[in-house]
Amino acid sequence: MDRTPAADRGTSSARDRVARGAARATGALLRRTGAGGGSALPGTVLERLSPGFVERRAAAFGDGVVIVSGTNGKTTTASMLRTILRASGIQTAGNESGSNLRRGVASALMEAPATARMAVLEVDEAALPALVRAMRPRALVLTNVFRDQLDRYWETETIARHLADAMDAAPAGCRVIANADDPLLWHRAREHDVVGFGVASLVGAAATGSRADAEPEACPRCGETLSYAGRTIAHLGRARCTACSWASVAPEYEATVVSSSGMSGIVVKIRGHTIHLGIGGVHNAYNAAAALAAAAVLGVSEERAAKALEEFRPRFGRSEEFSAEGHAGWLFLMKNPAGAGVVIREVTEDERVGAVVVAVSDQIADGRDISWIWDVDFERLEAAGLPTVASGRRAADVAVRLKYAGESPVGVDPEPRGALRTAASAAGQGRSIAVLATYTAMLDVRKALTHSRRARLEDVG
Amino acid sequence: MSGRGCDLVVVHLYADLLRTYGDRGNVLALARRAEWRGFGVRVCEVGRGEPLPPKTDIVLMGGGTDRVQEIVGEDLLSRGGELLEAAAAGAVVIGICGGYQFLGRRYVDARGTVIEGLGILDVETIAGEGRIVGNVRAEATLRDERFELIGFENHGGRTRLGPDARPLATVPQGQGNNGGDRTEGAVQGTAVGTYLHGPVLPANPRFADELLRMALAERLGGEPLAPLDDALEEAAHSAARSRRR
Repeated sequence: MDRTPAADRGTSSARDRVARGAARATGALLRRTGAGGGSALPGTVLERLSPGFVERRAAAFGDGVVIVSGTNGKTTTASMLRTILRASGIQTAGNESGSNLRRGVASALMEAPATARMAVLEVDEAALPALVRAMRPRALVLTNVFRDQLDRYWETETIARHLADAMDAAPAGCRVIANADDPLLWHRAREHDVVGFGVASLVGAAATGSRADAEPEACPRCGETLSYAGRTIAHLGRARCTACSWASVAPEYEATVVSSSGMSGIVVKIRGHTIHLGIGGVHNAYNAAAALAAAAVLGVSEERAAKALEEFRPRFGRSEEFSAEGHAGWLFLMKNPAGAGVVIREVTEDERVGAVVVAVSDQIADGRDISWIWDVDFERLEAAGLPTVASGRRAADVAVRLKYAGESPVGVDPEPRGALRTAASAAGQGRSIAVLATYTAMLDVRKALTHSRRARLEDVG
Repeated sequence: MSGRGCDLVVVHLYADLLRTYGDRGNVLALARRAEWRGFGVRVCEVGRGEPLPPKTDIVLMGGGTDRVQEIVGEDLLSRGGELLEAAAAGAVVIGICGGYQFLGRRYVDARGTVIEGLGILDVETIAGEGRIVGNVRAEATLRDERFELIGFENHGGRTRLGPDARPLATVPQGQGNNGGDRTEGAVQGTAVGTYLHGPVLPANPRFADELLRMALAERLGGEPLAPLDDALEEAAHSAARSRRR
């Protein structure tokens, strides 16, 4: 493989250098003026001043580009894969901040060190087809298709179509690594050079009947009802059509959950390798299987990859630890019913948790239509008898949702600080607080924790 | 459930398919609000090829994606008679978003293909240019009761009412049925359609209760529904009033 350092190749044009300088200055200015994190606008400047930068910079990675997309698990899967590659001595570049639209990707490429041999980038589903064309990845990892931000994407099928278009647009030789437990996604993926990953159905999981947070369970080929031999999360599982011959397959990289201990971790077995993951939840079994499959496709030994995964720790917002009001706590990002469902399962399995804050906002980044909270399995929280506090800009709607799930919340407070205080007093001595928050609600919680003298946020990433 | 057995049968039609916008919340609102008043409630999810249970009081049909609505279409037309019969027997039939369009006479898609509806509501929907998306505030009238509705709309179709249906509401804020005549939703007998998500019933308890009163008319014998503590619902409702479009 060509190992010429990136700086000696396509990216060294004078125009790119000038554009990069201007873009960096923009980022620095943004950060200094406090106008933003400075991760996206520099990319816009860069692309304006130097058209084709993304194409040129992507082509300059000696060991190519890997793209991760899909509704849930992009950030964690990409991050796991980078951890594995790093442990194997491959220096990687990426968009760790999760800024995953074209301009964010351009910014990340701009900041990529010349010594990075490979880029692992997470890409937003809608931006995916164009970025696949531009970056010509050697591997494309597709996690799943769930309802998410419907007022932006409109329909689940639109998301599935973006992923299918991206697979069609991939260059010859590109390997697709896709979730074999997701019927809508797998149906499109199996037409390509694909490696499947999945999670063996859980013992005791409902094998029949529809789940509130699942996508419509219709055969992706003929539209008739799917029957499930087992499920893991929402509509993910082993399915077969009741009318035609469509059926999902046992994936090459299938994780079996050996044991699970709430939020502190999960033990999975993939192709004979037992892996103690430092983060809990079935969704992380999927992320680990995806990362392991991708690493294997990239030539990393499975044994080494499995070992590296044990060292992995979560990134921004995907379960951070904090302490507030004398109580320990965990902060979880909640984006859609399926993602929220697995977090709730984790929270109720963990005996340390004494109270739960549910914070929902409705800014563009959260999705303005919050109907989906009615498809979240809050009934499980209520059944566990955990006191809840409603928070976020839509605290009042959360309160109604919790009431209809079984029990009215013990407090309603749009402000995170007040909500945390109420949760702390409801949690009981020595018990922890779990916070489930949509994107901007999570930012508000973080801000409150950072500014509060009685609170501390540990970035465990 | 109360000791009186089953007073109210609520059918969530195609619950496994038409449920894109939290439609389960509408079913929960109806069921809980009846249970809290001591009525025995049975919620049935009815899928393709399954008959409605006997003595259905309420049928609720939500919205789905285009693909799913296509999948449902055939089965739905085959149960037109069954639904009309139930409605004629006094069952309340509620259609939300895509479900509302299905209750109408027909839907004409972007390519001009005509998809026949159930004709329970005298309305017709034509695919429009661009989607109507945003927060809505509406003034509703149902069985001479007037109340405010808040919700979120997200639809591509433009719906117009025929002479047999009357609008459920007018829209001081939002686009409603078609973005032209300021109407939202439709009512005809015991059939009600609306484009509002939210889901619409939990955040609009008066609307939910009006539908329950219609469904329980005989059992109530003219008595009003017992009042409930709606402090949380009212708070959510008033918070929505100040929301921008």
